[in-house]
Amino acid sequence: MIPAKRYHPLLMLFDLWSLLKNNFFIFIILFVIKARPQSPFILYGRILFFIVFGVAFIYFILKWFTHKYELDGRSFHLYKGILIKSERTIPFSKIQNVNRHTSLFHRLFKVTSISFETGMTGEEAAVKFEVISQLESLRMEQHITSEVNDNAMNLSPSEMAVEKVDTTRIIHFKPMKKDILKASFTSLSFLVFIPLLLSFYSKIDDILHVEKETEGIFFYIISSWWIVTTIVVFLIVASVAFGIARTFIKYGKYEISSDRNRIYITKGVIDETAFSIAKEKVQAIEIKQSILKRLLGLAEVKLTSAGSLSFGEETLEINSLYPFLPVQRAYEMVSEILPTYEVTPKMKRLPKKSLWVRLFSPSWIWVIATAVLFYFRPAVFGVGQGWWILSAALLLIIIAIRWLDFIHTKYILNDRFIQHKTGSLTTSLFVSKRDKVIEVKVTRSIFQKWLGLASIETINRAKPIQHNGIEDVPVEFADSFYKWYMGRRNEIEIEIE
Amino acid sequence: MYSQMNGPQKRLSKDAVKVWIISETIASVIGFIILGILLYLDYRFSWKEWIGWILKGLLLLSVLGAVWSWIKSFLLYKSWRYDVNEEFLQLKSGVLNEKYQLVPMTKIQSVATNQGPVLRKYGLCSVSVETMASSHTIPVLPKEAAIELRNQIAHYAKIKEVES
Repeated sequence: MIPAKRYHPLLMLFDLWSLLKNNFFIFIILFVIKARPQSPFILYGRILFFIVFGVAFIYFILKWFTHKYELDGRSFHLYKGILIKSERTIPFSKIQNVNRHTSLFHRLFKVTSISFETGMTGEEAAVKFEVISQLESLRMEQHITSEVNDNAMNLSPSEMAVEKVDTTRIIHFKPMKKDILKASFTSLSFLVFIPLLLSFYSKIDDILHVEKETEGIFFYIISSWWIVTTIVVFLIVASVAFGIARTFIKYGKYEISSDRNRIYITKGVIDETAFSIAKEKVQAIEIKQSILKRLLGLAEVKLTSAGSLSFGEETLEINSLYPFLPVQRAYEMVSEILPTYEVTPKMKRLPKKSLWVRLFSPSWIWVIATAVLFYFRPAVFGVGQGWWILSAALLLIIIAIRWLDFIHTKYILNDRFIQHKTGSLTTSLFVSKRDKVIEVKVTRSIFQKWLGLASIETINRAKPIQHNGIEDVPVEFADSFYKWYMGRRNEIEIEIE
Repeated sequence: MYSQMNGPQKRLSKDAVKVWIISETIASVIGFIILGILLYLDYRFSWKEWIGWILKGLLLLSVLGAVWSWIKSFLLYKSWRYDVNEEFLQLKSGVLNEKYQLVPMTKIQSVATNQGPVLRKYGLCSVSVETMASSHTIPVLPKEAAIELRNQIAHYAKIKEVES
C-alpha cells in the first residue's frame, strides 16, 4: 500500500523541457533567426511566446500541487484537476504490461518513467508516471505484481513475497560479443553509414555552399589510385564500426529474464527501455524470420500484449525477445519462459490444390502494371517493344512469391493451441491459445467451395487488434478449427460476481 | 462446413428481401438521377469526349449493379443464418463468398437494436453487436424477435470471463 502522494517534483522540470523541445522550432525563429525585432509580427510573437510559457509554467506548478496518486491492495487511484477534481481508479488486474523508459533526461537526474498499460483504448488507457525515482518505480511494479499473485494478501506478507519472488528471477539471455556482431550484419546496419554521411554533407552544403571546393578535392582524389583505395578501405572499416556501434547501442544491454509470474525484457545502452508482462497476459507468440535471418538461422520472438507498447509518441518495439536469436535457442526460450505454451515442431502442409488457387487468382498489381506498360510502351534495354519483358518479369516474381508462400504455409491445431506459419519472404509463425483468441471466422469463396477449401481467421487482443489467418486450407480442417474454438468452454474461467 | 454439427438455424424476417429491394432501389434511383444530370450536362456543354465515355461506363455499371443488388437480396436472405446460445453468437452469410463467424458471448461489449425508415415501415429492426475486435449486424428481424434477441444477448454477455 502506497498512500496518496504527489508526483516527483522533477516532473515540473520535465514538462517544461518537453514543452520547450516541442516548440523548439518556434523558439529558434523568434529568438535566433530574427534576433533583432524589426517587424511588429516578431515582437508580438515573442510576447505571445512568453505569455504561453508563463501560463504553462504556472499550470505545471499547480498541476504538481493538485495531482496525486495512491495505490491500495487492488488498484491505482489517480486524483487530478485544478478546478474540476476527478478521481480515476484502475484495478491492477486490468494492467496488461508495464513499460519503463529511461531517456537521457532521466539519466541525468537519476530518475525514470514508467507506464502501466491497460487494454482499453483512448487517452486514459495507461497509468503513466513521466518522472519517478527509480526506487519508487520498482516498488510500484513489485506492488502490482505481488497483488496479481494473491488478491487477498495484506501488506507485510506481500512484501515478503516480493523479496522471495525477486530472488528467483532467472536470466535467460544476454547477448555476447558474437551475438552483437551477428546482429549488426543481419540488420545490415553498416549500410546506413554512407547515406548518413551523404545527408550530412548535403546539410553542410546547404549552409556553407562548399560544392566548388569539394569538386576540386574530388578530382584530386580520383586522380590517384592509392588515395581511392585508402578511402574505400577507410569507408568500409568505418561503416562496419558504425554498424556495430549502432547495434551495440540498440541491442547491447539486452536482457531477458523471468520469475514465476512475469517476463522482463530490458534493452538499450543510452536510452534504456524495459518491458514486463505477466505470463498469463501474453496473448500470442510470433516468431519472425526474414530471408537473411533464415539463411543465418536466426529468428525474432515477439510477445503479443493487449496493452500499448509505445511510450508517448515513440514506438519502442519492446515486446521482442532479442531479434537475432539462434532459431533453436528461440524455441527453447519460449518453452523456458512460457511453460504453458507449446510450440509443435511438426505441422501440416497445404494440399496441392491450394497452390493452384494461389497461382490462378488474379494479381491486380500485375494487371494494373501491365495495363500501364501497355499504354506507355517504354523501351527496355534498347528494345523498342520491350515493355512486355518488364511485365513478364513482374509475373515471374509474383509467381515466385506465391509459390514461396505456399511452401511456407503450415498449420496445426494441438489441443488448446493453434499454430500457423505464413509468409513468402519474411515468414511468421503464430502461436496462440484457444482462450486468448477472441473471435474466429471461416470464409469460403466460390472457387474454394468448388475445390473443397476454406480460409480461416483468428482475432486476438493487441493494440491494434491482431487478425491472423491461413488461406486455402482443406475444408475439413476449417470444420475442425470451428469445433476446436467451440471447445474453449473447457479453459475459460467464469468470473463470479 | 458443419459436416458433423448443427450450424446456426435461425433465419431473418421474410420481409428482408422486400426491405433490401426497396433500399437498393432508392439508392439506385438516386444514383441514376445524379448520372442523368451529369449526362445531360455533358451533352449540353459538350464536355471532353473521355468524360462522356466514363459516364456511359458508369451508367452501364450501375445498371448491372442494380440488377445484381435485386438478385443478391434473394440470395442473401436464403443464405443468412444466425443463432445464439449461452456461449456463442453464430453468424453465417454470403452466397458466393460464404462467411462463418463465431463470437464468444463473454467477449461481447454491447448490443443494440436499430431501425431505419424502411425498417420502421415494416415493423422490423436490426441488431448490432460490438465486441472488442469488431462489430456485427444481424440485418432484418421482426421487431419483437429483435428485442428478445437483444435482451438474450445482453443477458448472456453479462457473464464475464476471468480476464487474463
